[in-house]
Amino acid sequence: MIRTTPARSRGLVTLVLTAALGLGAAGCGGDAEPAGTDESTSSTPTSLASESPSESAGSPTETPTPEAQVIDIMITGDQVVPNGERVEAKAGEELILRITSDAPGEIHVHSTPEQVLPHAAGTTEVPLTIDQPGVVEVESHELHLVIVQLEVR
Amino acid sequence: MDDRLLAHGIGGAKDLPIPLELAIAGAVAALVVSFTVLAIAWRKPRYDADTSGRPAPAWLDRLTASTPWRVWWRAFGMAALLYVGWAAVAGEDTLINPFLGVFYVLVWVGIVPLSVLFGPVWKAISPSRTINLLLAKVSGSSPGEGLYTYPARLGYWPAVVGLFAFVWLELVYPSSTEVGPVRLWCAVYLGIMLLGGAMFGDRFFAHADPFEVYSTLAGKLSVWGSRDGRLLIRSPLANLDTVKALPGLVGVVAVLFGSTAFDSFADSTPWVQFIQSSSIDTTVLNNLALLAFCVAVGAILAIATMVTGVGKGVRRSTLPDLFAHSVVPIIVGYIVAHYLAYLVEYGQTTIIQLSDPLSRGDNYLGTADLSVNRWLSYHPSFLARLKVLAVVAGHVLGVIAAHDRRSGCCRPSTS
Repeated sequence: MIRTTPARSRGLVTLVLTAALGLGAAGCGGDAEPAGTDESTSSTPTSLASESPSESAGSPTETPTPEAQVIDIMITGDQVVPNGERVEAKAGEELILRITSDAPGEIHVHSTPEQVLPHAAGTTEVPLTIDQPGVVEVESHELHLVIVQLEVR
Repeated sequence: MDDRLLAHGIGGAKDLPIPLELAIAGAVAALVVSFTVLAIAWRKPRYDADTSGRPAPAWLDRLTASTPWRVWWRAFGMAALLYVGWAAVAGEDTLINPFLGVFYVLVWVGIVPLSVLFGPVWKAISPSRTINLLLAKVSGSSPGEGLYTYPARLGYWPAVVGLFAFVWLELVYPSSTEVGPVRLWCAVYLGIMLLGGAMFGDRFFAHADPFEVYSTLAGKLSVWGSRDGRLLIRSPLANLDTVKALPGLVGVVAVLFGSTAFDSFADSTPWVQFIQSSSIDTTVLNNLALLAFCVAVGAILAIATMVTGVGKGVRRSTLPDLFAHSVVPIIVGYIVAHYLAYLVEYGQTTIIQLSDPLSRGDNYLGTADLSVNRWLSYHPSFLARLKVLAVVAGHVLGVIAAHDRRSGCCRPSTS
């Protein structure tokens, strides 16, 4: 058994701690970047988001329909479909909630800041844009049910 | 629209999940570091409360022991209570009432980093201690004396009840973001504290005030200690070793850790889908799950510590409380991971709201026109790495603390 003096071994501890933690963090950094992003190809999600949301790629103002992500929502009786599923979305890009409901109501979007989207009975298409990344619950206010959790990146 | 009350927790968006590979890398790092550190360096106990640490500089010792210093922080605590209490009583029932942000964010979450930096801060500002002190001054008695002696076997159990009452209010109670019920909770809390203080003296606060017990425990990870009334500077691990293993300590860490785990679990897709499809009431299910998480953490810790080998003269039933302190760094690590962005961003929001306690456009503190810096939320991969680092560091420190305690007290005599 190697016996080390307390002072020396304490130095060793610090060394090992810092080295391994640094290594852990650096190692993660390497693979984390490409992994979390499925759609944004070249630019990292962080730098994209920290710039201005207005310059986000594509042309949402001219032709919203062909490219915008659509989430179909059915509200019938006391049930919602989807029922609490996770859906990926992109920060700063408009998506469309296509709500088919048997009664008028409100959708609460727990983004920062929160958003309230009223809808009529029948089918309503409601545009929604979330600028700040995070997990955002989209909830039926009348039924107190989470429809989807948007993973906004 | 911001003025409207949205019935679903405060703070809007939640953090993105940690990428799987980052989590795995973190777990591997925690294991490797723990084993390396313990194999190389920790063959004998290093921490001894009677000798560890060195005296703080004399001026600092004099300052922190001085009456003006203590009175200043007591006055700060009372002024804050009165100001926020005013908002709670006279303000409007909206999410921009600063009372909710102060209670859930600045106090409950802020208490952890403040205590880790400065030691047991709640003890210094605690309004219940201050009121008890004033009452004792008026009646000519000592604040340390009550009608009865605090029963030693109660230990921290009253704080366990208080902490559970808090996490229940925050995580399960459906109206947790309405001013009325939260105000009632606070009134009951203050009432119990004052009654307990009158009955048992200020020993009661150290064992039964959930905020003080939490703050004092987190403060054991600071560099500030004391011995014989002198201020000491210690390594956080040596400081952590001075946590007294009173009955109920295992319950304290079980509620703190279990509730944080429940909070993450409650947002997971399987749980959301389960409770929304179940015919049983959502609140009932959440109540049961919160309780189950806390009990499970306590039970796992108790069983795991009690099945280890013990030396002569150590009773197995004392082991859970004896090792509970090693969960404190893990709790702090998870609190950082879970609440960092929330604290930084909702904390700023609360400071802005504090200028307008009655929601009528006032700017009493001059903070009303500031805006919230959301840099952290817009850098999710940086945030994710910071979180993993906090959790890994918490685990490594926890393993070291437990290992040191074991080699100090409970090593089987054969090894």
